[in-house]
Amino acid sequence: MLKRPSSRRRSSTAIVQINLIPMLDALVTLIGFLLFTLSYLALVHVETLMPQVSSEQLEQQLKEKPLQLTVSLREGDVQVWSPFEKFATKVIPNTSEGLPDVQAVHRAIVEVKQQFPKETKVVLAPYGGASYDVLVSLMDSVRVVEPTDPPLFIKNEKTGNDEPIKMLFPEVVFGNLLGDS
Amino acid sequence: MPFYRSIRSRRVRRKPKELDLQLTSMMDVMVIILVFLLKTYSASNHNFSTLPGMKLPTSGSPDVPADSLHLIITPEAITFENQRIVEFVQTAASLGDTEGGYSFKTIDLREDGRQIVPLYDALVRAREKAELLRAKSRARDAQGNPLPFDGVLAIQADKRVQYDTIRRIMYTSATAGYKVFRLLALRKEI
Repeated sequence: MLKRPSSRRRSSTAIVQINLIPMLDALVTLIGFLLFTLSYLALVHVETLMPQVSSEQLEQQLKEKPLQLTVSLREGDVQVWSPFEKFATKVIPNTSEGLPDVQAVHRAIVEVKQQFPKETKVVLAPYGGASYDVLVSLMDSVRVVEPTDPPLFIKNEKTGNDEPIKMLFPEVVFGNLLGDS
Repeated sequence: MPFYRSIRSRRVRRKPKELDLQLTSMMDVMVIILVFLLKTYSASNHNFSTLPGMKLPTSGSPDVPADSLHLIITPEAITFENQRIVEFVQTAASLGDTEGGYSFKTIDLREDGRQIVPLYDALVRAREKAELLRAKSRARDAQGNPLPFDGVLAIQADKRVQYDTIRRIMYTSATAGYKVFRLLALRKEI
């Protein structure tokens, strides 16, 4: 009688392999599509509204005498002032390169914000020859809170808690759209 | 002398080797790239492009613009929705000048030089088109009226463009019914 053949050689463990190639095809197609349509331009925006004045609003303003923070950009300097003289006018001369000293303007704006934490509007009045680059940097200096700024807080009317201020004067309006008057 | 293979080696025939690529690690990388792209993709919901040679300023503003009507201003021309509508006259000083000396053609201006005629016409056409689309749309306000025109205009200007030009553009846009202006800039890397 023959001996039973050894089963060791025949018992092979079957390896289950998933066919990854179609999945890989789909992924490559998807990545190609996303790369093709992706916007690489990291854009941000600074919003400004068209100034609108109604006669009622104007009368009310004249009664209350609001802050109306104004930043006048002139060829040689920047003036931070209030038409109703709510704070002392500051004149900041340009840097040695002839550009507005946006850091100094920012410091002046922070001081005004400390005095008037609830105010959110600022009127910008640049001269006609100011470049777009200068305008954007000036708008940044009056809107954005820098990490190096002193802590600014505003009292929340509902909760009664002091909350950190995230933006200085976010509502920027150009005050001389009709001319340099 | 002839070479004889042993009986054992005759029995074991070598099978041809199958080329088996390890795709699992590649799949891992692909999935990571895909997740990254999808995450980045969802963050940018605008369709703004720029023109070659255009220099944009940088801004630390945290606001990311949503899609809207788009105006590009360079020292050479004004482009609205990918259509060049105003060509500037290059002044003699602008040749090789980094400040970008340019001026408007007299025929393009009216109202004491405040309004830019071709831009006004293009903006009015775009507003009428938007209002027509809103009238046909099913989206309605609480009273059942079509949603009002939002009047948002994204302005993307070269660094050298002067405020005088931007002022005229804003005035023209306001007379054409646009009240909100978004000045675009590149995000400042901190």
